[in-house]
Amino acid sequence: MKERFGLLLLVMLLISSCAKKEEPITISPEDYHNSVDKVTEVMIHDIFSPPVASRIFAYPNVAAYEILALGNEEYHSLSGQVREFSDIPKPAPNATINYELSALIAHMDMSRRLIFSEDKIKTYQDSLYTMWSEKNEAVFLASKEYGIQVADHVESWMNKDNYKQTRTMPKFTVNSDDPSRWQPTPPAYMSGIEPHWNKIRPFVIDSAGQFKPTPPPPFSMEEGSDFYKEVKEVYDISKEITAKGDESEEVAIAQFWDCNPYVSVTRGHLMFATKKITPGAHWIGITKIASRKTDSDFTKTVYAYTKTSIAIADAFISCWDEKYRSNLIRPETLINEHIDDSWEPVLQTPPFPEYTSGHSVVSGAAAVALTDIFGDNFAFDDDTEIPYGLPVRTFNSFKEAADEAAISRMYGGIHYRAAVDVGVKQGRDLGKFVVDNLNMN
Amino acid sequence: MNRLITIIFGLLLLVGCGKQGDLFKNPDPSDLGITFTNTLTESENLSILDYLYFYNGGGVSIGDINNDDLPDIFFSGNQVKNKLYINKGDLRFEDISQSAGIEGNSSWNTGTAMGDVNGDGFLDIYVCAVVGINGFGGYNELFINNGDNTFTESAQTYGLDFDSYSSNAAFLDYDLDGDLDLYLLNHAVHTQNSYGKYDLRYERNYQTGDKLLRNDNGKFVDVSEEAGIYGGINAYGLGLAISDFNLDGYPDIYVGNDFHEDDYYYLNNGDGTFTDSLKTYFGHTSRFSMGSDVADINGDGRPDLISLDMLPEDEVALKSSEGDDNIQTQKLRIKQYGYHYQFTRNMLYVNQPDGNYAETALMSGVAATDWSWSALFGDYNLDGHQDLFIANGIPKRPNDLDFIKFVSNEQIQQKIDNTKLVDQEALELMPSGNVHNYIFEGNPDITFKDRSSQWITKDTLMSGATAMGDLDGDGDLDLVTNNINGSPSIYLNTLDGDGNYLKLKLRFGGKNTYGIGTKVYSYHDGKLQFKELFPSRGFQASSEPVIHFGYGAAQQVDSLKIIWPDKSFQIVKTPALNQILTIEPKNTIPFDYKALHQAPEPLFVLEPRNLGLDFTHQEDNYTDFNREKLIPYQVSDRGPAMAYGDLDNDGKKDIFFGGSKFVPAQLFVQKDSVFSRKHINTFATDSLKENISAQIADFNQNGKMDLIVTSGGGDFFGKSDALLDSYYVQNDSTFTEQTLPEFFQNSSVVKANDFDGDGDLDLFIGGHTLTSGFGNPTQSFILENEKGIFSLYDGFDQDNVGGMVTDAIWDDFDKDGSMDLILIGEWMSPKFLKNENGVFKEVQGLDAKGLWQSIIAFDIDADGDTDYLLGNWGTNTKFKASQEFPMKLYLDDFDSNGQTETITALEKNGKYYPLETLDGLTSQMVSLKKRFTTYESFAGTTMEGLFPKETLDKAKVLEVNTLSSGYLQNNNGIFTFVPFGMDLQVAPIMDFVEGDFDGDGKTEVLAGGNYFGVKPYHGRLDSFPGALIRSEEEVILGNELGLDFTKKSIRHLETLSVNNRKYLLAVFNDDRAQVYKLNKLTLKP
Repeated sequence: MKERFGLLLLVMLLISSCAKKEEPITISPEDYHNSVDKVTEVMIHDIFSPPVASRIFAYPNVAAYEILALGNEEYHSLSGQVREFSDIPKPAPNATINYELSALIAHMDMSRRLIFSEDKIKTYQDSLYTMWSEKNEAVFLASKEYGIQVADHVESWMNKDNYKQTRTMPKFTVNSDDPSRWQPTPPAYMSGIEPHWNKIRPFVIDSAGQFKPTPPPPFSMEEGSDFYKEVKEVYDISKEITAKGDESEEVAIAQFWDCNPYVSVTRGHLMFATKKITPGAHWIGITKIASRKTDSDFTKTVYAYTKTSIAIADAFISCWDEKYRSNLIRPETLINEHIDDSWEPVLQTPPFPEYTSGHSVVSGAAAVALTDIFGDNFAFDDDTEIPYGLPVRTFNSFKEAADEAAISRMYGGIHYRAAVDVGVKQGRDLGKFVVDNLNMN
Repeated sequence: MNRLITIIFGLLLLVGCGKQGDLFKNPDPSDLGITFTNTLTESENLSILDYLYFYNGGGVSIGDINNDDLPDIFFSGNQVKNKLYINKGDLRFEDISQSAGIEGNSSWNTGTAMGDVNGDGFLDIYVCAVVGINGFGGYNELFINNGDNTFTESAQTYGLDFDSYSSNAAFLDYDLDGDLDLYLLNHAVHTQNSYGKYDLRYERNYQTGDKLLRNDNGKFVDVSEEAGIYGGINAYGLGLAISDFNLDGYPDIYVGNDFHEDDYYYLNNGDGTFTDSLKTYFGHTSRFSMGSDVADINGDGRPDLISLDMLPEDEVALKSSEGDDNIQTQKLRIKQYGYHYQFTRNMLYVNQPDGNYAETALMSGVAATDWSWSALFGDYNLDGHQDLFIANGIPKRPNDLDFIKFVSNEQIQQKIDNTKLVDQEALELMPSGNVHNYIFEGNPDITFKDRSSQWITKDTLMSGATAMGDLDGDGDLDLVTNNINGSPSIYLNTLDGDGNYLKLKLRFGGKNTYGIGTKVYSYHDGKLQFKELFPSRGFQASSEPVIHFGYGAAQQVDSLKIIWPDKSFQIVKTPALNQILTIEPKNTIPFDYKALHQAPEPLFVLEPRNLGLDFTHQEDNYTDFNREKLIPYQVSDRGPAMAYGDLDNDGKKDIFFGGSKFVPAQLFVQKDSVFSRKHINTFATDSLKENISAQIADFNQNGKMDLIVTSGGGDFFGKSDALLDSYYVQNDSTFTEQTLPEFFQNSSVVKANDFDGDGDLDLFIGGHTLTSGFGNPTQSFILENEKGIFSLYDGFDQDNVGGMVTDAIWDDFDKDGSMDLILIGEWMSPKFLKNENGVFKEVQGLDAKGLWQSIIAFDIDADGDTDYLLGNWGTNTKFKASQEFPMKLYLDDFDSNGQTETITALEKNGKYYPLETLDGLTSQMVSLKKRFTTYESFAGTTMEGLFPKETLDKAKVLEVNTLSSGYLQNNNGIFTFVPFGMDLQVAPIMDFVEGDFDGDGKTEVLAGGNYFGVKPYHGRLDSFPGALIRSEEEVILGNELGLDFTKKSIRHLETLSVNNRKYLLAVFNDDRAQVYKLNKLTLKP
């Protein structure tokens, strides 16, 4: 009896599914932007550090891109072009796959696997799945199955990038005996984050040390030494611009490019965090702006995200390699100790060594990638930071934006000049290498 | 049916107004005529966001303001008017606030103190205020009692009209000139963004700095600067306790500071100045120090101290609140910024004869009472022992981790920045901290029993300032708390004649009419009770200015010794019990405070020049917790090694100190009367190894001493040469290294013995840990000596050991004529290995799994056979273990990433919880972040909730069921574990040494200890002063013997003979070695 009832149910289900609609599912670039925005939002909530965030951006984009490249002759697979990556599985011959849909699903699913608060992505994912399923269940299911299959393939490749191993590696040990060494900074005095990020497998560059920058000026707090001059410069600039007030252009620039995912604030008896997107996420935001402005189609949009996020991810690996090599102390520590014990930087000092400036390296690399994709002298209005209460800024080119991002770290009082100048060059050299070595279209 | 019973039961509970505990009932205050409520009104510009101490509450004072022998109650309100209630008898109170003129004019009132400022015999009232921030106006007010139930506000006249950020004040006569001076406690408000250096405290700031005010003929003069009182911008003063802590006749001051500023321990120099001596006498303090109180809790005549903090007892609150610093931040704060060790929990400081404090809150059971404001010691059950009441609660927990990390950003960030409007809804997202008040019954042995659900009813109020007094005049102690947003709580003691008491009203005369600062020693049944009269106690409050003693069923008090503030005293003989005794100075004679400090001549006297043994051990910067993030304690800090033997073959024994990473070993050779350092090339070239244990003996029997050194350090791993033990053979006068069987592990102990009776010395070497493999089996082994060559002895089964060996002794424990072996270690029971024709077999089968550190043979019960003393971790710790609920260590690759994790689990209310926080666990197992996306979802998760049963079942589990140090008592060859008394449980006992230290011809054992290799959550196990163990009953602490062991971590104790004198050598980890002359002994030839 039970069996019979089950059979009946199955038949009814089959009939009802047969009766379902078969509308085409159309996926727009906006759908992809939304998916990227969604994962960005969850990353802010979950508090991922800038290097880790760069990894979370890159892999889902690669998964999506690979599916599109398979169905589009203008684009070439990254297989053989990025480290240890092999061809994705081919879809079944008769599968009714919507490649764009598959790509979007792969992006969402990879993203879900990488963040912590899966519920937040799942809710978003489920509402889309329901909608697509109602439109055309067969195509949806086939596309989804393929998207997940590719995500699995990309994940097993990703899992060999040493990320998991680095999670259990030793925490950074502070050495307070050497005055040049980095020390935790106020107010949270957090331990140095991601001391082993240089052990993460890069995408394009051959090793973390490939773009090893020139060392910073030798440490010396002797007045007149090059290093001291740089410390003093940070202090003097800070004094000058804070005297002009919060409305000054320099302070505005510092705040616009703050991109600190976790600023801890004490107010009254309350402690809380103000959270913003990371430097990488800001450039992902610029990628969106450029894609929209150029009316890029779905595939070009994904291509732009992929190339830019790969450049950013490699930039973090390269930069973090140097950070824990030179292990240089932050201006805040030295200025408080030697010049002015009540000085506070305009921005909160992030919890890792100073040299080179992460934002400079990443901005340098991202700007080269974006210039490669969208061309030079690409003017745009950057509204990425509006959700965080910051205004729109206008740039004439990606390079100009990167230069501003770099110098913003000096205005912010968190980097010396060498970290900014050398950092932006490190990023550009690396970015050039990435675009030269990636043959994507 | 069941339901009916429930309903009836419920109805029964509801019967009667107010609430009833076994000891205290809480009548509805309005039934008594008390209608005060400290209502807080939040506004756009005033809330917890604008003023950090918005929830600290008002004050309360109890005292008889109209001299009708009935104590009256004064409440200060933060934003509401102050209230004064006259006690009309029969628990009726009359509100005379308006006519009395004490309602006050300040915007934000805080602490209050009663004292007879002008010496006219009537209590005046001082009310503190926060003025100058958040639009708060007014000034601290002094209401001078006109003697007719009216008061005249006279702060300006007296020079006490401060408009600063005052939280509390206390009257005391610090200069003993006969009038009352005032200590004014202020608090900082600047953001805690940066610690700043400790020396900020030297720069005075009017608003935030504390003040000492000297009474010069009715005018109070700020003498803070000249008196050595700090007044910086970083002192968040919340706790204030006055007592003659060092018993020299002059009142001293303990100030508890919130946040990162150290507490201050001002010792009165007697010349008008004070010296902050915190670091000298306190090994560590509470971190977010709040209220405090003083009482002699162990009947030794010395005042003890409690300082409150905010560690939750409840597992959910504990795991969802921000706790202690991580270890690196702590190091930074201490080494770079100059602050002292501070930890987030209540601290109970037991005053020691040498001026140090033994901090025992954990073993005393009072460490965790959540968001605690006020502590008041009192003999609430009149049994002769001090009990403890702790008032607590906060409307919102600002340290809730979900709020800090997740909720705040999304909910209130924009609103705070843009409109400054406090979004009530967002504040609502912070969990409430309406924890019940605590009451503890004091036991004779410095432990306290939590009686919160028996003596009082568990409330959900936010109670702060608390005052004590006998409101109904029945001789027992009642309590009044000032609550936030509610009526005060009246705790009426319902003992009614159960237990005898005495209440003393002191009438000193002069300007100090109430005799503030008077000490009373009470003697009954051979017991001593000691009290001082300093009415400002607890938090923002002053209690009835009387001295109160409970005596239980005792029928007679032998005598009272009253020492007046002018250092004169009188004796009251056999006062009748159960009365109010008014005492005035009569037939007084001078009191000699020096008599209190007359210690017998110390047995141990520090050798000023250490006999030339200028050795300071330096621990390297390696932090185990950076690599092995979840291990319960460090393993890298077990050095240095030390061996005592005649290495230069001149008939005088020399001392070898092992090296630590990058610091070579050192040899000190004994000359005629001192030691001098000798360079040995072989030792110097091997500077990498971290030596843990060493033995000097002529192993190859060539007439010259050789040396065996074991290596560990917890840092080197794999097949690193630095892990190999060393064997240095002496030929001529040079040492050459010879090989030993290879074992790559952290070794602990080496002990030599000719166990096979073939005339040469064989070795036992104990294995402690494998680096990065905490808890995994290491190998301990016996090396058999064949003509100076050591080889692995196969009569010893390494699998027999199991556990992390720390110490061993060779002894024929079964007296069968062959040498047996006893091993001890961590996560294991002591192992008795019987030598049966050369094969070692475990006998006894003891079940006492401990964290054993040291063992020595000693006939402690003087019955003629050998017992074994065992040093364990002690019970003054966050670890918790019993036979029923052992502490567990789970070992497995829980997240399948190829790396073994160790998870320590402790029992609480019958369930096991991980010791680590979510952040701690995820620092090693990031995958848990997917499962626990909020702290709330993790808090309260048991081990079974953390991992599926199958996972836990397949994990290796190590256990500890005994934390007490003690001894194995030999009863005809059967050994039974007997724990030592509380004195020997305050910290790990790391080493023992035997000898006749007191020259009585008998042998005693000296024990030393303390250990610091734990995370800040555990604090610092620093309170053991060493002890001389004469017998089961007779244990004398080192601080009575001249030993300076407190706050130092012992590794080795050794008796030395130099130039026909006996000495004691104490070797510490990361500190300078000490040499003591044994005062009573010269060496008998």
